[in-house]
This record gives sequence, C-alpha cells and structure tokens, in this order.
Amino acid sequence: MIDAGVARAGDAEGPAVVYPASVEEAAEVIRAANRTGTRLIPAGLGSWLGAGGWTGPADVIVSCERLNAVQHYEPADLTMTAGAGLGMAELDDVLRPNGQWLPVDAPGVGAGTVGGMVACGVSGALQGRYGAVRDNVLGVDVVTGAGRVLRIGGRVVKNVAGYDLVRLFTGSRGSLGIITSVSVRLFPRPEADVTLCYGGGTTEIVALARTMCTSPLPIAAVEVEAGGENGETVMVRLLGSVGEVEEVLSRLVDSVGPKPRAIVRGDESAALHRDRGAWEEGSALVVRLAALPDRLADTFGRGAALAGALGGEIAADAMSGVVRVKASPDAGRDGDVVRELSRAREEMEAAGGTMTLSQARGEVAARVGWTGGRGSDGGLGTRIKELFDPASILAARCP
Amino acid sequence: MVPVTLAKSLVEICGRDGVILDEERLLVYESDALTAYRHRPGAVVLPRSTDQVQGAVRAIAEHGLPIVPRGAGTGLSGGAVALDGAVVIGTARMNRILDIDAPNRRAVLQPGVINAELSVAAGAHGLYYAPDPSSQTACTIGGNVAENSGGPHCLKYGVTSRYVTGLAVVLADGSMVRLGGQGRESPGYDLVGLFVGSEGCFGIATEIEVGLLPVPEGVCTLLGIFDRIDDAGQAVSDIVGAGLLPAALEIIDGPTIRAVEDSVFAAGYPIDAEAALVIEFDGMEAGLEHDAERAAALCALAGAREVRTARDEDERMALWKGRKKAFGAMGRIAPDLLVQDATVPRTTLPSILRGISDIGQRYDLVVANVFHAGDGNLHPNILFDRRDEHELERVERASKEIMQLCVDSGGTITGEHGVGLDKKHHMDLIYGPDELDAMWQVRRVFDPGGVMNPGKVLPEDTGPAEGAGLPEGIGGD
Repeated sequence: MIDAGVARAGDAEGPAVVYPASVEEAAEVIRAANRTGTRLIPAGLGSWLGAGGWTGPADVIVSCERLNAVQHYEPADLTMTAGAGLGMAELDDVLRPNGQWLPVDAPGVGAGTVGGMVACGVSGALQGRYGAVRDNVLGVDVVTGAGRVLRIGGRVVKNVAGYDLVRLFTGSRGSLGIITSVSVRLFPRPEADVTLCYGGGTTEIVALARTMCTSPLPIAAVEVEAGGENGETVMVRLLGSVGEVEEVLSRLVDSVGPKPRAIVRGDESAALHRDRGAWEEGSALVVRLAALPDRLADTFGRGAALAGALGGEIAADAMSGVVRVKASPDAGRDGDVVRELSRAREEMEAAGGTMTLSQARGEVAARVGWTGGRGSDGGLGTRIKELFDPASILAARCP
Repeated sequence: MVPVTLAKSLVEICGRDGVILDEERLLVYESDALTAYRHRPGAVVLPRSTDQVQGAVRAIAEHGLPIVPRGAGTGLSGGAVALDGAVVIGTARMNRILDIDAPNRRAVLQPGVINAELSVAAGAHGLYYAPDPSSQTACTIGGNVAENSGGPHCLKYGVTSRYVTGLAVVLADGSMVRLGGQGRESPGYDLVGLFVGSEGCFGIATEIEVGLLPVPEGVCTLLGIFDRIDDAGQAVSDIVGAGLLPAALEIIDGPTIRAVEDSVFAAGYPIDAEAALVIEFDGMEAGLEHDAERAAALCALAGAREVRTARDEDERMALWKGRKKAFGAMGRIAPDLLVQDATVPRTTLPSILRGISDIGQRYDLVVANVFHAGDGNLHPNILFDRRDEHELERVERASKEIMQLCVDSGGTITGEHGVGLDKKHHMDLIYGPDELDAMWQVRRVFDPGGVMNPGKVLPEDTGPAEGAGLPEGIGGD
C-alpha cells in the first residue's frame, strides 16, 4: 500500500519521502516506523522542513502532498475542511470567488500548506485583528506518533465539548502527530485594503509604530522592517469597509506627525503584504524575538544587533511585539552563529521575553534549542510529548 | 462533613472566615445554575491567594478527598457540583485586578474577578474585555477560563480562549506552574489553550493574563421582526453571506417573545411575531450606517415585517432587553428549565429549528429558542416540571434527540456551556473511544490521581481501568 508513494528527497543519499494518500495510509506509515524505529519528519510541501522535529538526520519524510482535497466548503458557514496538503495559494483560489479568505499571514505561509500552517502555528501581523492561527483552527484529524487516528474538534465555530486537543496539536511542530486534515474558520474578504508606508530613522519609525499600536482606531496590522532594500519602513495596514477605511486613513494622515511616503491601495496593498509573507523564503536561519509590545524599541534593538552579527535583515509585527531576524546565507561559522543566538536568547529571557528559532539547520538547532528554557511548566510538555509519541518517532523531545 | 483534622488544617490555611463547614451554609453550594444536579459539598474553602490555594489543595489531597474548583456558580452544565463529599475551592475572595497594562492592552487578574468588572476597570483606559457571557455581571473570569465561555459578541470577537495569554495554575499535587504569559507569543505547546475549557479537571487557575481591545467608537443595533422563524434564519445566512461581520446576531423565537412580553421584562416585541433578530454592528461611525442599511435591506428581502434601528443608548438597551432577560422570563412560566447548547453549521439553522420543533411536539413539550444565530450556537430551552416524573423522562429523551439531530448536521453537543455532569454521557455522540481515551490520558498528565473535579466531562466507562496506573502512551499496536 505504501510502496506507491515513496520517492527520494534530493539525491539518492537523502531521506526517502512517503506520500500517503489517506489518513489510514499515514497511520500505517507511523505504525511501521514504530516497529522499525524509523525517525519520521511530517511535511506538507517541505517549505518548513527546517522548523522542528529532528535536529539530526531523519530517515523518512512523510509528505501530505497527496492529502490535498477540499473536503467540505459551504461558503455561508464561513468554514472549510481540507486535506493537510492543500496549498495555501490553492485554498485562496477556492475562497476568493466567494469573497472570503483565511487571514493568516504567517511568514512563508503562502508557499506552504494548510497542514504546515497549523503544525507550525506561527502567526503573522494580522493576528491582532483576526486572531492567531490557533484561534482559527476548528478541528484536525491527526495520526499520533503511536499510530492512532484522532478526529478532534469539529467544523463549527463554537465548540467546547471535551478538552481542547486541537490547540495542543496546533503549533506542535509535528512532534505529537501528523496532521492529515484541517477545519478552519474563514472571514469575509474586506472591501477595502490600504497600506500607509512611512520612512525614517530607526528610532523614529519604531516610535511611530508604537503610536499606531496604541491608537484606538481600527488598524489591522503595523509592520516595521529594516536592513532590506527598502530601507527602514513602517507599514500600517487598514482593512474593512470602504467607509471605515477611508475615515481611518484621513484621520491618520491628519493627526499622526510624519506624512506617509506612500499610500498603497487594493490589490497593490494585498500584493505588498504577500511579498512580506515571502520574506523568509529561502533563508536557512530565521529567528523570532518576542516581548511585550511596549518593549518594541528594545526588542528591535536586540534584533538589529543580531542582524548585524549575522549579516541579516529584520522585520517586526509591532502589535504583537515580535521581531524576526533573517540571517544572510553566509552568516558565519556555526560556532559563531550559535554563540550569537545563545546570547540573544539569554538577553531576551532576562528581559521577560522569548527567542525561538523559526528555521534553522539541525546542527544549529541542536545546540541552541528551538524554543529555549521554559522550565516553568513543571514537565507537562514533556509528559504530553511522551504520551503521543512514546517511541520518539517524530521528535526527540517537545519543541 | 469532612474529617476534623482536615477542617482544622483548612482553617489554619485560610482563616476561620475562609472555611464553610456549616450544613446550612453548604446548601448554597449544592448546585450551579443548572439546578437539576444537587450535591452538598463536604466543605467549602475560600482562599485569598495562590499560596492558600496550594495549601488547601495539599491538605485536601492528603485526606484523599476530591476537589471541585468553583467561580460564581453560574455555570450551566453542573460542572461545579461537588460529588462524593468533595471539597469546593471557591475563588470568590480572589477578586483583585492585579494589573491593567494599557500600553500592552492586557490585564492580569485573580480568578474571582467578575467578568463585567474587568471591562469597567479597563474602560478607564479606553479598553474592554471582549467575551461577554449573558451572566457577565455575576460570573468570574476564572469560571470563564474553565468553561471557555462565549457570549453574544463572540461572532466577531471569538471566545475566551482567544483572549487568555497566560496562567498560573495550581495542580492537584499543590505545585504551581506558569503557562504562557507576557503577551501572545509563547514557545512550546499551547498549554494555555489546552487548559482553557478544561472545566476544572486540570487544576485551578490562580492568576490569569488576558488581552483587552480598544472600545469601538460606535455601535449600531437593529431589531428585525419576522412572522416565520425560517425567514429570520435565512436573514442570518444572507447577512453573513453578503460579507458583513456583525458583532452579534441573535434570534429570539415566538414562545420566548411571548414569555418575555408576559413578564416584568417586557421589551416591546410584538407578541404575534415568530422571531426577533437582534443585529449589532460596531466600529467606526463612518462605516456603521452603511453596514446597518445593508443588513436592514437583507432582513426586508428575507421577509421581515419590520426593522427597528436604535438611535441612542437607551433604545439600544431596549432592543437587547428581550434577549438578555429571556432566561429570567422563562423561569416565570415553568418551574424548571433545561437549556441545551448545541452548535450547528449556520446554514442548517432553518432545518434544525424545524427539527427541534418537531421533537418538542412529539414529546408534548414546550421548547423555546433563544440563541447566538450568527455562530449557529443554539439554546433550545425545554420547559417542564420536575415533580412530574413522566415529563422528566420525556425531557431527557427529547434532549438527547435534539443533540443527536445537531450532531448529525455536522455540529457539536456544546458551544459554550461545557460538558460538566450534564452532557458527559453524550460525549460519545461526537467522539469515539480513541479520542475519549486521548482526553483521559491528557487529563492524567495534569492530574494523575484523578483528584480535580472527578466525574465531569468524560464518561467513566471510557476511562482507563481503576488502579491500572499511568498508561504508557496513546495506542499503537
């Protein structure tokens, strides 16, 4: 049954890739892996392979590429159920004619799959307005690391029946099970989409971003970037009805100090953010620094220092206090990179924040750790990991 | 009664005024707002701090007694009922708002803070707390966390779990863990999300961090009056289908309208109508009028007899009154009320409402509906008199049939009230043995000894065998 879907990733030396075509086949793969002690990496299209799981070489990649059907979509319910392998771009193609969208702008998500989005659970700058990934996942089908199929949650927007295992699997980075199907909450596509772009020096733009974040006006997202070809920029995105967006726009232009360098509307605004979403693509090392939003200047400064050391660029989701650093391909020797990353984590944690690796090569991740010391959960995470993946088929430890 | 040694320890930990042992005073704690289930607790402890909660948990555990966490007791699923002489740990005196951090739009609270009081306090900073269960003037944030509470405005803003960003939790062994906190980003598994909605089975949240939202500039409320409930259901689908995103979309059916208008809560709804639809938009004044006009037009197209628009706050409150007082009004016309809480895909609303009406007729019961139509979250209320044994039996059978009907349409058995005692034997309508077993095992990770709120949420016959010890991982073969 499984033979049909086996290929090699890259060269003949690379790990084999299995393409299960049903949840039962995926379960069969996991059970076989349990019997033989094979280490697996669950994957969608493979765009996030550097985002968790094994830090050493794995034996087999389990791709959900063939599990890509739209299983249920009733537009007026504003929900959809789809196979984990459905591409985010294909999903958008299905939703667009009905005036709907899934407002998840997680970094790199455009090139990935819905399953990958849920497994990674990383949110982008729209999370303040529309909720994080975890807030919009209604249900998942998973095969646990022990090979058991669980269908948890559902496809209705309010559901408190039983414990919320959906949230446990969302963002678990493939360490508990393979997600084979996903139900998500959808939103009406906003009538108007406008982005105001401001330029200036670092101090100035960070302060401006904070002003935007504390404004009572309905602002959908505030992003800051530096070190790239556009120089230092703040992008303020407005989404909503034409009447509302035009009103907010005129009040911002009238009341906030500097004048925007550009005002981008409609498809152009959407495209601008789509490009922002692709910002991480192709980078082997991406770091995420987070602290309370009012510490943005410090977090941004910490990110800038790291970007300086790794020859990279930075981008921030100001409303959430998240600063991402993308290292250049020649970031330096592993030892130097590890030292810089460890120092960044130490400093962030000392200030009450966090530093996580979004993408990293195995050797670096093994030495730095994906998420750093939490230590305050009393071992709950580790015990949950052991429960669902007792033979450590999917990952050595909890992320 | 609890053993004297335990009573003494609890008094030492929480003070004499923090322990209730008196049989009569314990009666107050024998049920939550679902009065069908009544059990008197062995004792009630009312700690003031995390330390006191830890001390009380350890003392109770040493005596081998179960623990039931309790907020204000406004729950509707029997979740806070103390079975088998359990000791209730009530959070009523842990009611301090520890911090309102306006620049970061978050607040840190003790669990006994009343939901509505948080919004009042945050209001001074132009902020508010979005989830608004109908009991918000009485219910506590700790209870909301345990139940993952909803409310009318969840349609646009989401339920409790979207707003909880950090927790300090006292576990069954008396240890304290910190999950999440300091904003939205939290590495590792989403244990905060897992804890929210765990109905007191995983531990007691003693400190809660929540996100706040800026108060919207304007609010516009409409009331559509319909001669057919199907038409109201159609209007809901049309409004959502048109890309409008109201803050709330609520339906009150004919029997409920008549109960309300017959009562002291009369809101001026026409008593010959078969449905009233409350529609609320919030946001910038500039966009509101346009949205409201579109919604009113869609109501008219769907067959509304009349659409009223509130011009000011008083009118707005009047339109809401019939919705908010519906439960109170129904209490007047029948001695007992069983509230169902299933959620269905919203496009199935018209057929489900017909189905519920048929079930009511078949069992000769009055069923009144008042519900969150925009979310598809139904609240069929079955009116009855518990003293009539035959009627009680019909109520139970009708209730299960309604749940089955909703599940068959792609829905679930509870949207916001929780499983508690009331629905645990219906969990198998939506989950198979594997899912229930996974939930049992996750529960055991938090509470290996089964001390916290036993007898709730999961049916016992699906659980691991007594004395089998900790299972070694889920399934496999």
